[in-house]
Amino acid sequence: MKFVTCPSLGRRALSEFTFGGRVEKETDQEAVSEREWAEYVFYHNGAPKTQQEWWYHRPTGIWFLFQRNTLTDSITQVDFANKGLTNDA
Amino acid sequence: MPLRLLKYAWKKSEDEPRFFPEEKPLKTSYDVVIIGGGGHGMACAYYLAKEHGITNVAVLEQGYIGGGNTGRNTTIVRSNYLTSEGVKFYDESLKLFEDLSTDFDLNIFYSTRGHFTLAHTDSAMRTMRWRAEVNKHHGIDSEVVDVDTIQKEVPYMDMSCNGQHPVMGALYHAPGSVARHDAVAWGYARGAQMRGVEIHQKTKVSDIKTKSGKVVGVQTDRGFIEANSVVSMVAGSTPRITEMLEIETPIEIFPLQACVTEPVKPFMDTIVVSGSLHVYVSQSSRGELVMGASVDPAELHSTRSTLDFVEGLTDQMMDLFPFTSRLKIMRQWAGMSDITPDFAPIMGKTDVDGFYLDAGWGTWGFKATPISGKTMAYTVANDRPHELIKPFSLDRYANFELVGEKGAASVGH
Amino acid sequence: MMRRLSPQPLEWINRSQSVTFVFEGEEIKGFDGDVISSALWAQGHKVLGRSFKYHRRRGLLSFANHDINVMLQTADTPNVRGDVVQPEQGQTYKAVNTFGSLAQDKGALVEWISKFLPVGFYYKAFYSPKFLFPKWERLIREMAGLGTVDTSWGERRQPKRYRHCDVAVIGAGPSGMAAAIAAAKQGVDVCLIDENPYIGGSLDYQYANEEALEVTRDDLKTTIAEMDNIQVITSAFVAGFYGDNWLAVNSQQGLIKLSAQSVVVATGVFEQPAVFRNNDLPGVMNASAAQRLMARYAVAPCKEAVVLTANPEGYRAALDLIKNGVVVKAILDTGCGENSWSVPVKQAGIPVFENAAIIEAKGRKALQGVVYAVNGVQQSLDCDGLLMSVGWAPAGAPLYQAGSKFAYNAILEQLLPQELPQGVFACGRINGVFEIVDQIKDGQQAGMAAALAVQDKSVPDFTDYTATRAHSHSYPIWQHPKGKEFIDFDEDIQIKDLKGAIAQGFDNIELMKRFSTIGMGPSQGKHSNMNGIRLLAKLTGKSIDQTGSTTARPMFHPTEVSHLAGMRFRPERLTPMHAFHQQAKAKFMEAGVWLRPEYYATESSREASIAAEVAAVRNAVGLIDVSTLGKLEVFGRDSAELMDRLYTMRMSNMAVGASRYALMVDDSGVVIDDGVAVRYSDEHFYVTTTTSTSDSAYRMIQKKVIEWGLKVTVLNRTGQIGAMNLAGPNSRQLLSQLTDLDLSNEAFPYLAMRQAKVCGVDATFIRVGFVGELGYEIHVSAQDAEHVWQQIMLLGESFAIKPFGVEAQRQLRLEKGHIIVGQDTDGLTNPFEANMPWAVHFKKTYFLGKPSLVRLKTLQKRILVGFELLSAAADDMPLESNLIIDDGEMVGRVTSIGRSATLQKVIGLAMVELACSQVDSELTIKLSDGRMVSAKVVKTPFYDPQGLLQKPQESALGGAA
Ligand SMILES: Cc1cc2nc3c(=O)[nH]c(=O)nc-3n(C[C@H](O)[C@H](O)[C@H](O)COP(=O)(O)OP(=O)(O)OC[C@H]3O[C@@H](n4cnc5c(N)ncnc54)[C@H](O)[C@@H]3O)c2cc1C
Repeated sequence: MKFVTCPSLGRRALSEFTFGGRVEKETDQEAVSEREWAEYVFYHNGAPKTQQEWWYHRPTGIWFLFQRNTLTDSITQVDFANKGLTNDA
Repeated sequence: MPLRLLKYAWKKSEDEPRFFPEEKPLKTSYDVVIIGGGGHGMACAYYLAKEHGITNVAVLEQGYIGGGNTGRNTTIVRSNYLTSEGVKFYDESLKLFEDLSTDFDLNIFYSTRGHFTLAHTDSAMRTMRWRAEVNKHHGIDSEVVDVDTIQKEVPYMDMSCNGQHPVMGALYHAPGSVARHDAVAWGYARGAQMRGVEIHQKTKVSDIKTKSGKVVGVQTDRGFIEANSVVSMVAGSTPRITEMLEIETPIEIFPLQACVTEPVKPFMDTIVVSGSLHVYVSQSSRGELVMGASVDPAELHSTRSTLDFVEGLTDQMMDLFPFTSRLKIMRQWAGMSDITPDFAPIMGKTDVDGFYLDAGWGTWGFKATPISGKTMAYTVANDRPHELIKPFSLDRYANFELVGEKGAASVGH
Repeated sequence: MMRRLSPQPLEWINRSQSVTFVFEGEEIKGFDGDVISSALWAQGHKVLGRSFKYHRRRGLLSFANHDINVMLQTADTPNVRGDVVQPEQGQTYKAVNTFGSLAQDKGALVEWISKFLPVGFYYKAFYSPKFLFPKWERLIREMAGLGTVDTSWGERRQPKRYRHCDVAVIGAGPSGMAAAIAAAKQGVDVCLIDENPYIGGSLDYQYANEEALEVTRDDLKTTIAEMDNIQVITSAFVAGFYGDNWLAVNSQQGLIKLSAQSVVVATGVFEQPAVFRNNDLPGVMNASAAQRLMARYAVAPCKEAVVLTANPEGYRAALDLIKNGVVVKAILDTGCGENSWSVPVKQAGIPVFENAAIIEAKGRKALQGVVYAVNGVQQSLDCDGLLMSVGWAPAGAPLYQAGSKFAYNAILEQLLPQELPQGVFACGRINGVFEIVDQIKDGQQAGMAAALAVQDKSVPDFTDYTATRAHSHSYPIWQHPKGKEFIDFDEDIQIKDLKGAIAQGFDNIELMKRFSTIGMGPSQGKHSNMNGIRLLAKLTGKSIDQTGSTTARPMFHPTEVSHLAGMRFRPERLTPMHAFHQQAKAKFMEAGVWLRPEYYATESSREASIAAEVAAVRNAVGLIDVSTLGKLEVFGRDSAELMDRLYTMRMSNMAVGASRYALMVDDSGVVIDDGVAVRYSDEHFYVTTTTSTSDSAYRMIQKKVIEWGLKVTVLNRTGQIGAMNLAGPNSRQLLSQLTDLDLSNEAFPYLAMRQAKVCGVDATFIRVGFVGELGYEIHVSAQDAEHVWQQIMLLGESFAIKPFGVEAQRQLRLEKGHIIVGQDTDGLTNPFEANMPWAVHFKKTYFLGKPSLVRLKTLQKRILVGFELLSAAADDMPLESNLIIDDGEMVGRVTSIGRSATLQKVIGLAMVELACSQVDSELTIKLSDGRMVSAKVVKTPFYDPQGLLQKPQESALGGAA
């Protein structure tokens, strides 16, 4: 089992989190060509690397962003995904 | 006692002819370089030599023959897929499998057991029936069976699933089989070598060189090798190879794990799969229960084992087979699965001239070993995709022509 | 008890309590504390099991918790290990994998034909002719396998425990004990784990009679007992060392999941057998096995012994033997020579032969003598015990699993760990440290370092205590012209087998393993891999490091499924009205994690019950529990923007107090969810999702909110709100008596939403038409839901109300041609294919999946159509998923079908190719048995095409009650 150090809750089991895919910037829907859109939806470089990823903490219902290396599985940074956003709309 | 064994009484086993010929020195140029010495790579080499007379071929394998997913898989062979493209393709593979032992003069232990895919919900039942109908349409032995039929064939299964997810029926596929995975790779390897193909183990490809959009060779840890045709058959390492050519694909790598129990005397003759419980099981000829589940929850290029996997698997397995609680898990392991969005492979030519791709085998590619070898060999030899693999081209996603094997997995509600 | 010795200083048995059990029909008496093998050996048994392939008689070999020579069967458990398990009073044990009995095992015939069965023989035969293979396979399968399973055995589950500690020490031998103490002294929490029932390790069996160490032993043990921050876990092994120091500790009471910050691996070494002819005869055993027998169980290994040794440990074992009255006839020293125990050995008058080599063991059913050579001269001795002390292999599985590598140390002739991962330490014999004083120092520095690592302090340099002489023979393999030298006892693999494999080209460690099966048996190579590597290295002319080794994967020892599974925890969700449903004879079905009434068994059959429910809705009124729908509430400045972006239809122009169908696609344009959205205020929406997607939809929406940087809050109200749909011509009248809300068409038109009280509680009403009648979806807080439901049902009696289930709803909506996402759509269906182009508002600048839909619209090939069956005999009713065939080709499939009582027809939905989708096109449906039936494409809705019934005029209502 992997453990994650959450900025507010401390050491948590990774099994409490659901993987939400890598963080990818969506292409501008209006300006995009067919090919570019298909590339955004389907194609990517899936080779091992350190990438930013979405991880959802189920018990609290909060999304996090992890820096994770997909070769070594080491997680080097954990942030609240909505950092900078207020939650009190 | 089969006659074939009599000869061993008269000679020392060391005197048995070499199974694998001595490795030849690595040349600096070949007509075709195949990256990856798994089942697929070996099969492609075999059919290139056997059916197309192309023998100046090198298979480059970073580890040892069959050491990738080929040697880690749970060896289920079946053709009861959902799409016509899938059914036709896998059916051809099954036909080849049936004769491999004689073709190779090597027993691959192709053992036809019958394959049950259980349905625990009415939506799963609909999917089973869909598959059965498509299968039958293509002449595949496949049908939806009711609870009584399952109970008769697998009397020791708890059909109530511990009272919570009662089995409602199943898709039954009589030709469903298991085989010795290593033997398949070895058989193809030997057959290819006997026809002049060279296999180089412990030889890793680190780059692929092109000149004006055409492949000219591969860089390895043993030097540069010229080749105008390069075939990538590396399953879980595909993204690392395609990255060398800056080719993007929809493939993502997820670990897939499996485990075996200590051996016990045979009692289980069929293969049982439960999608809802995420488990499948068969009993090997050594007596071990060979069990697997779905892929791990996150992308990872690694073959490490996890506790979560064995915990989840054993827990669910007991719903079906309560008595397995008295068995012990002996060993667990993992492979790297190259998963595609539509659960169908990616095969054929690419935008880079002379570079051929055979990938996207995910959790299902062992059964495709013979046919993908054969169709890829055709594709390389003719520089034109074989009819059976046309639907599996890399650009189908850009054209929104997905194959839709995922439909079989889409059993929500 | 023929072989029981006088009390030993550290023995584990309790002589005041005896245990009686039956082994192969014979009554055996042992003591409390005995393992099965020790009790058997004490009673004079030497043949404790049969080998896997040739069914050769086998006795004790390693006696170190992986001795699969002794595997037993009871009435309720297979593969019980004789060297680990304590006998149960009155239990009956039988050796596994024998045909007949242990004494008369017909399986032994296999040895007569062993000439025909060389390594990998099964690859070379049995496949031709093909039709015979299943018979051969059956035979091979019967011969393989160990214990037997009784499939009527019930389920066993052992609860799991969780533990956390700072430092886990695996192995409680001298170095492990010292490590635990050193770490604990730093003030951290320590868990000390050992697979044996008592701590002490080799100190207690190898050095049991070493008086000089008594003080050290007492010191270590009392300190451990006294320190509050050392938790000792015995009779438990680390089955797996997983990522981030997550240890699966398997105890007899169940699995302990231990999370440690740092780990000290002090697992020591496995003694390796010598490989020579008949080395498997009962009576030939590892020296440490004999020492364990004596020290732990006070059992003499034999009467007259010969010790074959390559290291000082063999001399120590000889001294233990004579102390216990065993005659040691000779020490055959293969190259150890002078050592601290050789002097007392010689003083005791034991003949020591240096430059010795073993030639063979002799005996029929058990060992009777040995043939050996000294300086090349062959000699022999009679004996009933041969102790092998020729070397060690690391018990390295935890380190391998943690990711460390091993390299060969040519002085020690042993593999030693290299490059330990962060937070992982090793000490003691696994590190090549052999003197007890050094082991303690090595343990102390590892324990200290592990504690400092936890405290984030820097770790001082390590002192190297590695021994400076070999403790292992570099090649303890003596081939004999007549063979039968066993390397792997689990798998009956002999020298010739490995030679054969190598000669055939399976000449790297992995291929050799896979072809010969060395190391694949239940002990997973613990006594065989090292010798296999040595043989391969020798034959290929490579070094041990070049040869490499195979990976040691979990489990360390086979681990009970019942322990790994633990207790069953499979949550199920029930709606607030569940108790009512039960009383009303609901038949439940699973819907995701929920249980929902499929129908209420009120009539004689399922069909009749469903028909009655359908009729109630069409003719009177019905009530269905829809609490399982996902329910999300959206607040905030950007809520309209969010709704526009999520759904294919425009939501921002919806009026407050209105509702709208909400369809969602993914990036690739595939339909993934649908529901109904309502607008409470400008900045406040409420939307439902399908039952099974509620969690994932909520998760995904939250993510999109962040991605899009919107100022909005989304709440998942699924479990907090109960919901029901009241539908049928009588619904308005009925409801009007329970609420003050004006239900008139003018005040509350079709598709409007209102908030008001019902039965005295706050509610949201939505006028929906999913089942095609006048209807109200009523959402109230979960704690009020049952009350509201009961009140409606009570009052409804006079309106002929019936509760209806999922199946009736399916039929009702089918008559309206409404789709069910996941049934009428598949993993690739887009809204155009689902025949809902009206649900896609391309004028919006942005929504999820829009560019894909733009594209897909032009690529459309298939579409969902309504059809009715032309012939409708009871036995040719197609089933959902039956195919539609045109000219022999598949052109579509039935996604929904039902016999409409209302319309007196069989109607359905089918996904078909565009070419056959025109109204009135004839469709040929292939039944499951291959027969064809005809249908024709018709317009949907089948029922009430104008939708007059779901939005009736006030006047049309009349007194339908
Ligand atoms: C646990 C598990 C269970 C499975 N169960 C089944 C099943 O029951 N049925 C089924 O049909 N399928 C199953 N599969 C899938 C199946 O194993 C694979 O799809 C199939 O084996 C792929 O074969 P391959 O020859 O393409 O790849 P592999 O066997 O993985 O061979 C690829 C080879 O390429 C080599 N390689 C990679 N990179 C390089 C490089 N740069 N240079 C040189 N060599 C390189 C690797 O070392 C490897 O040996 C399972 C997979 C796993 C992991």
